[in-house]
Amino acid sequence: MADMRRDSIQRRLIASVLLSQIILTAGLVVIGVLVTYWRLISTLDTSMQAHATSVAVLVRYTEDATGHVYFDNSLLPESIDPLHPDQFTVWADRTGFLTRSEDWPDGLQFQPGPSEHWNFTWAGVPYHAVRLNHIPILDREEGAAFHPQTLTIVYASPLVRIQHQVKVAGGSIALASLLLLGATTGLASWRIRRSLLPLQSLARQAALVSTQSWKLQPPREAEQIEELRPLTDSMTQMLARLEYSFKQQREFVGNAAHELKTPVAVLKSTLQSLVQRPRSSEEYCAGVQASLQDLDRLEQLLQWMLRLARAEQWAQNAQGRNLDLIDLNSTCEEAVERIRALAESRHTTIHLVTNGPVPIRADPEDLQLVWTNLLENAVRYSPEGTSVEIAVAREGDHAQVSFQDHGVGIAAADLPKIFERFYRGDHSRARATGGFGLGLAIAKALVEAYGGSIAAVSSPGKGTRMTVELPVPKP
Amino acid sequence: MRVLVVEDEARLAENIARSLRESAGYAVDVAADGQEGLFLAESNPYDVVLLDLMLPKLDGMELLGRIRQAGQHTPVLVLTARDDKDSVVALLNAGADDYLTKPFDLGELLARTKALIRRGKGQPSPVVVIGDLELNTVNRTVQRGGKPITLTAMEYRVLEYLVHRPRAVVSKTELLEHLYDYNWEKFSNVIEVYISGLRRKLNQGSSRQLIRTLRGQGYMLQD
Repeated sequence: MADMRRDSIQRRLIASVLLSQIILTAGLVVIGVLVTYWRLISTLDTSMQAHATSVAVLVRYTEDATGHVYFDNSLLPESIDPLHPDQFTVWADRTGFLTRSEDWPDGLQFQPGPSEHWNFTWAGVPYHAVRLNHIPILDREEGAAFHPQTLTIVYASPLVRIQHQVKVAGGSIALASLLLLGATTGLASWRIRRSLLPLQSLARQAALVSTQSWKLQPPREAEQIEELRPLTDSMTQMLARLEYSFKQQREFVGNAAHELKTPVAVLKSTLQSLVQRPRSSEEYCAGVQASLQDLDRLEQLLQWMLRLARAEQWAQNAQGRNLDLIDLNSTCEEAVERIRALAESRHTTIHLVTNGPVPIRADPEDLQLVWTNLLENAVRYSPEGTSVEIAVAREGDHAQVSFQDHGVGIAAADLPKIFERFYRGDHSRARATGGFGLGLAIAKALVEAYGGSIAAVSSPGKGTRMTVELPVPKP
Repeated sequence: MRVLVVEDEARLAENIARSLRESAGYAVDVAADGQEGLFLAESNPYDVVLLDLMLPKLDGMELLGRIRQAGQHTPVLVLTARDDKDSVVALLNAGADDYLTKPFDLGELLARTKALIRRGKGQPSPVVVIGDLELNTVNRTVQRGGKPITLTAMEYRVLEYLVHRPRAVVSKTELLEHLYDYNWEKFSNVIEVYISGLRRKLNQGSSRQLIRTLRGQGYMLQD
């Protein structure tokens, strides 16, 4: 666990916010730069066209009537960017190359052609250029006898200033965005931290849960948060289940320890009284025999306890077992077989009344254990020579198995307690019949594991009827 | 001394009774349920009652309450499987003198029983001295004038009872009731035999008579 990478929801959320903000900022900067550049270039284009026209105005016809032209460079327009001179070159359509700007860079060549706009870099300086065709020469007198000429002008303006402006604009957008990004990220992480606080207070409350206090009190702020609701709900439910099984376990251990005390006391006293004084070998022999009997009883008690523990554990994991369809009647018949010897020794007859097969999904061993426990109780608590009746019936979606005895019955006050662990209605009789008060508790745990129920009705002096209801699959 | 054991676990009751008889020489009656226990406790003068709490028919606490209501002073030692504070407090408040939790040690049970009898008789010391007679109830020995005296088990029991009731008139019936279990009537004429045996052994080397006979009333131990 030590080297397991730790992750944090807070960190993840802040990272997502930061990432989206960065993408937003970058987008803003790019868009801002592009828009600024495009707008500046189109402005520049317009002024360059105006300047080119101003240059065209300086082309004049000679005074003769040949239609030749010349360039009057006395009134050259100023450069758009005073620090970086514009360049131009002019052709006349008949006479060809006419003129170019004074500091036209050596080696830079352009030819007349169709009108267009483009960028180029010469000697490390970026330029924007336009080529304008068919610009009329305005200086023409009416009625001149020659064909007028038109001009082609290439006008180029350095982009240095625009590039600088774009950089400044991009930089300020980026700076503003970064400042906003910092501020919003800070705000977002503060909000995220705050909205995760209920988790911590929930954790603090959960830490207060112990075996002494099982109540989880979800803090109000956690209860108000929709996303935390499933967590608090399932925690509360889990704690309820844990508390129940913890209490059951503790109760069981307490009961078991308590029940073990008496048989241990018997065994201990037997052995102690044996060594209290020197004895004959016959006495020793009898003492050892008695101790073995005590141990037998102790062992039986342990076995019953384990059976109960297993039944209760079974009941908790009952769902989700794959069970075969079996006939309920055959499990009853098997139980009757198991109790037959006991019944005969007490001259008790057992009547099993069935009415057609009752298919049920169950482990036959479990059901036989339930029937055996109930039947054994019925036989043991019946006077000798009486009978016990078992009736199996199917009613709708459940099966009913009832055990009727004709014994002394159970007092109304004791009826609710008979399914409790280690409960014995009458000590002396239970001891005499060898019961530990676990048979009914085991039966109840198993029946409930199958989603059924068990109930007892008794009229003192007349007998007791135990009824088990179990759900059966639809035919 | 005579002890009542009320315990429904037959084998445990049997072991306790055997130990009390063999090691302390007490007469022991056993009751297997609360009703029988109450009946015996009401009809016999026991020197101590050992009482289990979980009893059929009549609960141990109930039994205890009844005999205390009836004004009996007999010391009661409760045998219980529960050792939590609440139930111990409850049983002491109900009139129990002492308690032992199961499983207990028979030696401890014996020692506590003896201690309760001594206290019940207003005789807190385990060694009782009356004049030049000295009786040790722990290892059951008797001396007179520093010389050990060997007694039979029954003679010791008679003397032990008399020693715990010094200078009082003890009737033959009282002696019988405290020295035998419930079928004591059978033994009614053996008391004289033990008394005369005791007198003979105690008077060896001494002219002073310790046990006086008060005709028609009983016996008295004097110093």
